[in-house]
Amino acid sequence: MAAPCRGPLLLRVSFRRFFGVSASARSFSEDRKTHFGFETVPEEEKAKRVYKVFENVAQKYDVMNDAMSLGIHRLWKDALLHVMHPQPGARLLDVAGGTGDIAFRFLEYVRSQQERRAARSMQTQSWQDISSNYGTEDKDGSPESSAVVCDINKEMLKVGKQKADSTGTSAGLSWVVGDAEELPFDDDQFDIYTIAFGIRNVTHIDQALQEALRVLKPGGRFMCLEFSKVTNPVLARLYDAYSFQMIPVLGEVIAGDWKSYQYLVESIRRFPDQEEFKRMIEDTGFYCAQYHNLTGGVVALHSGFKL
Amino acid sequence: MATLLRALRAGRALRGLGGALAAPPATNPQCSSLRRGFQCSMLRLQDESKSDRPPDSSSTTYHEHYQAHSTEQDTTTASHGASAAEPEAEDAPRPNTSYQDQSGEQGEEYETEEQLQARILTAALEFVPQHGWSMEAIASGAETLGLSSASTGMFHNGSGDLVLHFIAQCNSQLTEILAEQHKQVQLGQAEPKKTADFLRDAVETRLRMHIPYIETWPQAMSILLLPHNIPDSLKHLSTLVDDIWYYAGDRSTDVSGSHHPRSPPSSAHTFLSPFHHHPHNIRPATLQMNWYTKRAALTGIYNTTELVMLQDSSADFEDTWNFLDNRIQDVVNMASTAKQVQSTGEAVVQGLMGAAVTLKNLTGMNQRR
Repeated sequence: MAAPCRGPLLLRVSFRRFFGVSASARSFSEDRKTHFGFETVPEEEKAKRVYKVFENVAQKYDVMNDAMSLGIHRLWKDALLHVMHPQPGARLLDVAGGTGDIAFRFLEYVRSQQERRAARSMQTQSWQDISSNYGTEDKDGSPESSAVVCDINKEMLKVGKQKADSTGTSAGLSWVVGDAEELPFDDDQFDIYTIAFGIRNVTHIDQALQEALRVLKPGGRFMCLEFSKVTNPVLARLYDAYSFQMIPVLGEVIAGDWKSYQYLVESIRRFPDQEEFKRMIEDTGFYCAQYHNLTGGVVALHSGFKL
Repeated sequence: MATLLRALRAGRALRGLGGALAAPPATNPQCSSLRRGFQCSMLRLQDESKSDRPPDSSSTTYHEHYQAHSTEQDTTTASHGASAAEPEAEDAPRPNTSYQDQSGEQGEEYETEEQLQARILTAALEFVPQHGWSMEAIASGAETLGLSSASTGMFHNGSGDLVLHFIAQCNSQLTEILAEQHKQVQLGQAEPKKTADFLRDAVETRLRMHIPYIETWPQAMSILLLPHNIPDSLKHLSTLVDDIWYYAGDRSTDVSGSHHPRSPPSSAHTFLSPFHHHPHNIRPATLQMNWYTKRAALTGIYNTTELVMLQDSSADFEDTWNFLDNRIQDVVNMASTAKQVQSTGEAVVQGLMGAAVTLKNLTGMNQRR
C-alpha cells in the first residue's frame, strides 16, 4: 500500500521545516542520491523501483531462487535456522520475508524440537508421570512459538500466504505489511529478528538496523542472511562471470524480466562487505556481532544481540 | 525518523519530564565513535540523577526512561544514548540493562559481555535438575534475568559452557574456603592440620558442592569428556589440584631454603612445575619429581572419589568419604613404604658390598703384590 511509503516522507519534510538544518549528516532533503544497482537515483525513487521489481518477480520468485542458486539457497536458509537454534516459545519477526521461507522453516524446526523433546521425556517417565499424563492428554504447558512475516510488498506476501494455505501450515503465522525502516510494531516484542536477502534493498540500512534494535526484546537476536564478498579470488572470478552472464539470462527465460535480475546482481555488488556490515551492526548498538561465511563468502550470516 | 517516533513514545511515557524535548536526539553515525569516549561521562551524569528516579519494576518503561533521560544528556554530551549504567551491586530485582561497549573497559559501573554471560550461566544452574546440562537450562536462566531465550545463541559450546562455568565457580569457592582456613592458621586461631587430613577435608568440601546436581552429574562428566571440552576440563582439574597442594603447604618449588612468596594460585597456571619456569635453579631430581607425583596422586584420588560418589546411595555419602579416607591412607602408606624400600635397599647394597670386600680379602685378591 502506498501509505507507508508516503507517510514517512511527509513527516520528514515537515520536520525539516521545523528544525531548520537537521543535526544529522544524513539530511532529509529530497536531492539525496543513493544506488539502485549500478545506477544512481534519488532516495525515495529507490523504494518505488524496488517495490516494482519485487512486484514483477513475486510469482516466479521461488522458482528463480532455485534456478539461480542451483537449489543452494535452501541450504543457506537451513544454516540460518541451525545457527539460530530457536528455543520453545520464541517469537520470530521475519522482515522482508515475502514468500515466507524462513518463517516456515522456523515453525517446522520448533515443532520437530518439541516432538523430539516429548519423545525423550516419554522414554524416562516414572509411574507417577505416566499416571498424571493419562488424565491430561492434550496438555500444552509450554508456550507456543509464533512467526510474523513482514514485507513492504503485498504481492510477495500474497504468494507466501498461498504457499502457507496450500501446505496447511498457517498456525502460528501472521502476515503483516510494513517498511523495514519503520516497523509497525511496539518496542521489545520479538525474540528473533531475521532479514534474509532483503536488507540490501532497503534505502537506509542503518535505520532498518535501529528498528531491529527497537522491536527486539532485551537478549533478543538479530540475524541477517545476505549476499556478500567472496574471499577467494578464483571463486570470485567465476562468481562474477556467473552473476553477470547467466542470471539475467535465466531471468529473461524463466520470469521474462531481464532488468529485475540485472538489478539483483548489481545490488549485491553495492552492498557493504562482511567486516563493514559487522561494524554497522555494532555501531547500531548490538553486542557480540559476528558473521559466518557460507559457500566461500557468497552469502554471509551476520548476527548480533540486543543486550 | 524512527528515532523521532521512539523519542515521542518515550516522551509520552514520562509526562513528568516536561513537554517536548528541547532538541532532537543526535543520531550521527560519526558520533558513534565519540559515543564510546563519552559513555563514561554520560553514565556518571546518569548516576547522579538516578537517586530521584522512582523504582520501576517493568523493564520496558525502565528502558524508555533511560532512553529519554539519555536523549536529554545527548545535547550536552553529543553521544548516542541507547544504554544506561547500573552498578553491579544493585542488580538483584531488576534486569540489568546496562552493557559495555566493545572495547571492554573495566569500571565498576560497567558490565562486560563475559560478566553478563557468567550471570546467565549462574542463573541457569538452578534449572539444571529440571532440564539437565543443556541449552534449555540456559534459556530458562536467561529468562529469569529478563533476557529473551534467543540470547543463548551467545554460547557456542552450549552445555559445555554451563558445566565449565559451574566447575570454575566451585573451584574458586574452594580456593576461598582454603584461603580463609589458611588465614585462620596464620592468625593462630586454628590448629594446622596434618597433610593427609587437610587433603581429605579439601577433597570432601569440593565434592560436596556436587551434591545438589548429583542426579545429573553423570551427564556433566560425559560433557567434560567430549574432545572439544577436554583441554578446558583438564585445565580446571589441574588448577584445582595445584591449589589444594599449595594450601596443604607444599612448597617444593622453593630453592635452597629461600622462601619466594608465590603469586595467587590461579594466575598464570600451567601444567609444569615452577622448576621449569626457572630452569637455572639447581634442584635434586627427586624433589622435582615430587611436584608431579603429588599432583598426579591427588588427581587420581579426586577422580576416583568423584566416580564413587556417582553411584553412592548411603546416607550423606558416607561410603564415599570412607573410600576417600582409604585412598589417602594408601598414598601415605605408599610414601612411607617407598622410603623404607629405599633405606632397605641402601642397607642391602651396603651389606653386599661388605660381603664382596670380605670375600676379596679372604681369597687374597685385595693384596698388593
